[in-house]
Amino acid sequence: MTRIKTALKMLKSRTPRSLMIYYGIFITWLFTTAMHIPDGYLSPATSVIMFIIVLPFWGLGVRKLRQKMSSKNVPLVALFAAFSFVIMMFNVPLPGGTTAHAVGGALAAIVLGPEIATMAITIALVIQAFFFGDGGILAIGANCFNMAVVLPYVSYAIYQAITKNQATSSKRRIIGAGIGGWTGLTVAAFFAAVEFGIQPMLFHTADGTPLYAPYPLSVSIPAMVIPHALIASVVEGVVTALVVAYLLRTNQSALEFVKKTEIPVELSGFAKWRALWIGLVVMIVIVPIGLLAPGTAWGEWGTEQFSSLGLAFIPQGMAKLSGLWSAPLPDYNFPALKNANLAYILSGIVGTIVIGIVAWLFTMLVTLRKTEAR
Amino acid sequence: MDIDHTLEQSLFAEKTARQPGLLQELDPRLKILSALLVLLAVGLSRNLTVIIVLYFLMLALALFSKIPLAFFIKRVWLFITFFTGVIALPALFITPGTVLVYLPLGLVITKTGLATAMFFLLRVGTSVSVAVLLVLTTPWNSVLKSLGVLRIPPVIILILGMTYRYIHLLLHLTNDMFLSRKSRLLRRMKGPEERRLIAATTGTLMNKSLQVSSEVYLAMQSRGFRNYPRTMDTFKMRRIDWLSGVLVVMMVAAAIWLGK
Amino acid sequence: MAVGRAGGHDGCSSHLVGKIGNLQIMETPPIFDVNGLCYNYDNQIPALEHVSLTVRRGERLVILGSNGSGKSTLLKILDGLYFPNQGSVIAFGRLLTEQAFQEEAFNFEFRRRVSLVFQDSDVQLFMPSVWDELAFAPLQLGLSQEEVKSRVESALRDLQIEKLRQRAPHQLSGGEKKRVALASVLGLSPDVWLLDEPSAGLDPLSTAWLLDFINQQGKAGKTVITATHDLGIVDAIAERVYVLGEDHQGVAEGTPHQVLADKALLISSRLMRP
Repeated sequence: MTRIKTALKMLKSRTPRSLMIYYGIFITWLFTTAMHIPDGYLSPATSVIMFIIVLPFWGLGVRKLRQKMSSKNVPLVALFAAFSFVIMMFNVPLPGGTTAHAVGGALAAIVLGPEIATMAITIALVIQAFFFGDGGILAIGANCFNMAVVLPYVSYAIYQAITKNQATSSKRRIIGAGIGGWTGLTVAAFFAAVEFGIQPMLFHTADGTPLYAPYPLSVSIPAMVIPHALIASVVEGVVTALVVAYLLRTNQSALEFVKKTEIPVELSGFAKWRALWIGLVVMIVIVPIGLLAPGTAWGEWGTEQFSSLGLAFIPQGMAKLSGLWSAPLPDYNFPALKNANLAYILSGIVGTIVIGIVAWLFTMLVTLRKTEAR
Repeated sequence: MDIDHTLEQSLFAEKTARQPGLLQELDPRLKILSALLVLLAVGLSRNLTVIIVLYFLMLALALFSKIPLAFFIKRVWLFITFFTGVIALPALFITPGTVLVYLPLGLVITKTGLATAMFFLLRVGTSVSVAVLLVLTTPWNSVLKSLGVLRIPPVIILILGMTYRYIHLLLHLTNDMFLSRKSRLLRRMKGPEERRLIAATTGTLMNKSLQVSSEVYLAMQSRGFRNYPRTMDTFKMRRIDWLSGVLVVMMVAAAIWLGK
Repeated sequence: MAVGRAGGHDGCSSHLVGKIGNLQIMETPPIFDVNGLCYNYDNQIPALEHVSLTVRRGERLVILGSNGSGKSTLLKILDGLYFPNQGSVIAFGRLLTEQAFQEEAFNFEFRRRVSLVFQDSDVQLFMPSVWDELAFAPLQLGLSQEEVKSRVESALRDLQIEKLRQRAPHQLSGGEKKRVALASVLGLSPDVWLLDEPSAGLDPLSTAWLLDFINQQGKAGKTVITATHDLGIVDAIAERVYVLGEDHQGVAEGTPHQVLADKALLISSRLMRP
């Protein structure tokens, strides 16, 4: 006890108040690694836009469901949605006493393909939204974008890249599933953080009181991405890998399912993922622009206020500290850009690139080691 | 493991949804649309009073629908304090503005900080109350079926119903698997052991899902299912439903206007 | 009259031997005519080999076999869910193929007349409530809303499950599930019932009720084909018994009395302890 007291005293005397607060936020967010955005975190405008962004992915999924000879997918999606709903309740214990649960999005993508995985996870999320009341009914678009679109498509792309031209029985599938699951959920967490982070910038009262999730991007991105990368994404990756390993032992045909139902038209890598890439780019670019329009329509504030408000909200101490996490990219500091809009777009692009590079390096590492082993 | 809790919760909601009460009497499609409108009003409000009034309205509706109030309040706020409360807490201290209270450790609570936290908590709490009220007063099956009113394709409605049905099967199955494993172990499980158990359970569950789904497909075919499901309009709007609908629209319009 | 025996492992073209003479004189055309049927699952493990069988209209037939003998598969083939790898199945004078079921009219007619009740009620009952379950088949077969409603109500009445109408499947007991499963196809008033292990997991009272139900259908002129390994119910529900052996082939057919008396046959088919 006394040791803790002295440690606290030292902390108090040596660190500025703002640093403690900054870490306080980190710690609190660390325990709330939940990806499900409840209603009230996002403005209705953001919710509507996220909904519109997901629409084409739902269209793709429904089209796939309606494809001739694939009405088999109806019970399959139902069972997989039920499966995803149930495993979201498994709290996996992690070293250090925390627990987290998997979403099952990566697994669904590996077994069903990303289009159908979108449908299965969407249905699990819809049921959860109503079942628990805290999954978010208005926020269903945002939740589906993060967990039913980004997660399965990103995981699947990585899994495919790692297991390309491999036999079904290849052990590499386990690694691909693990890395795919980790990256998918981390990228999803990043997007959730962006959705949270733009709220105070865009929606606040005349005196600057944030109306929805109160933390700016400089807080929300590290607070969401770091704990996810360390905890929840690890669980998603580990569970996905372990289940794929289990399927390799017990039911390999499950891993061939996608191949069997795939449309026989061969598409190049880019074309195949076109929907995803376009979606991501549209998301990064359009969200702030799209939000500006309803924002001004409500007549609360004009564009000239906008650029300054994004900065004004960041508390003094935190503005100083924002250099901490953007240190590798000094030019990226908000004050240097003097434009919150641009800063936001840039942060989105930088984030996407960083996560992309990490995933790519992982993939390379695994591929290299495998080739050497041979 | 909150599986038991979930099953209990679903049983309880099923019970309250079938007892007589104000909201239970109304058409489920109307209730879904109304819930969405009220959520929109709660979401759009820039005025705390409007949100608070809407919250008390939800309490009143719960009362008239014979939902035990203590349960209703606990069900909503217990969850909110755990998650949203923890997230909202720092905003209380870090938002710049006029200082209201000085605290030890050099912390202060500002007026804007308080407003921020209040907006966040009350908005989330009221939104959750709307959703919980809907589920407590409408049988599950009716909620799913009436989603058709939102232009959701029939095939998705069919899948939603089947998902709901099989969630229960998988939950019971999981419960049995965990129980049988744990009953053979006298000591507490360690981390890695429990992780392996969860992975094996997840894998078994997935194999079961795949197997059940292909059998269910046969059962559906056997009863004439082809690619397009045919569904039925089960609900009829009565005069009381139309009347309530008009009331809700007026109320929501007023709330949005006042909250601007 | 002796129980017929299949004569060893001859080629796929050979029909089942040992048909009992007087049964071959048919007053009515057969509902099912199965000829030299072979079926393998994806994994190449044979499920059925060289099965030949004729089912007449209004007959109560039991397909007797141990676990894994292929009797469930046979029922699914008779229901037009799987299609033979070799041999043929003719139903109502028409060859059952995947192409045949692509035809809306044939699919409609066949699905209305033939109903399969799966062994696992959790598979049979896939809708979120009993009422929806009962309405599924009539709806898919394109009946009008009023017609569907009246059929569901009469099925609920006939099986005395009116109280269960709003229940979800997980709120039903095993016996109730079986009643709902039967009711789920009763709305179509099928001519042919295919029942897969209907007595599995039922208590004695439910089993007695089930046997009554089967016989009632039989008396009403329906064809009832029951697959089972439960020797105890054979006598009560069968006019004729077809035995599937361990090697996935038909090994015998005859009256229940003949089959149940043949201890050696039952032992070799793993239906009885040696």
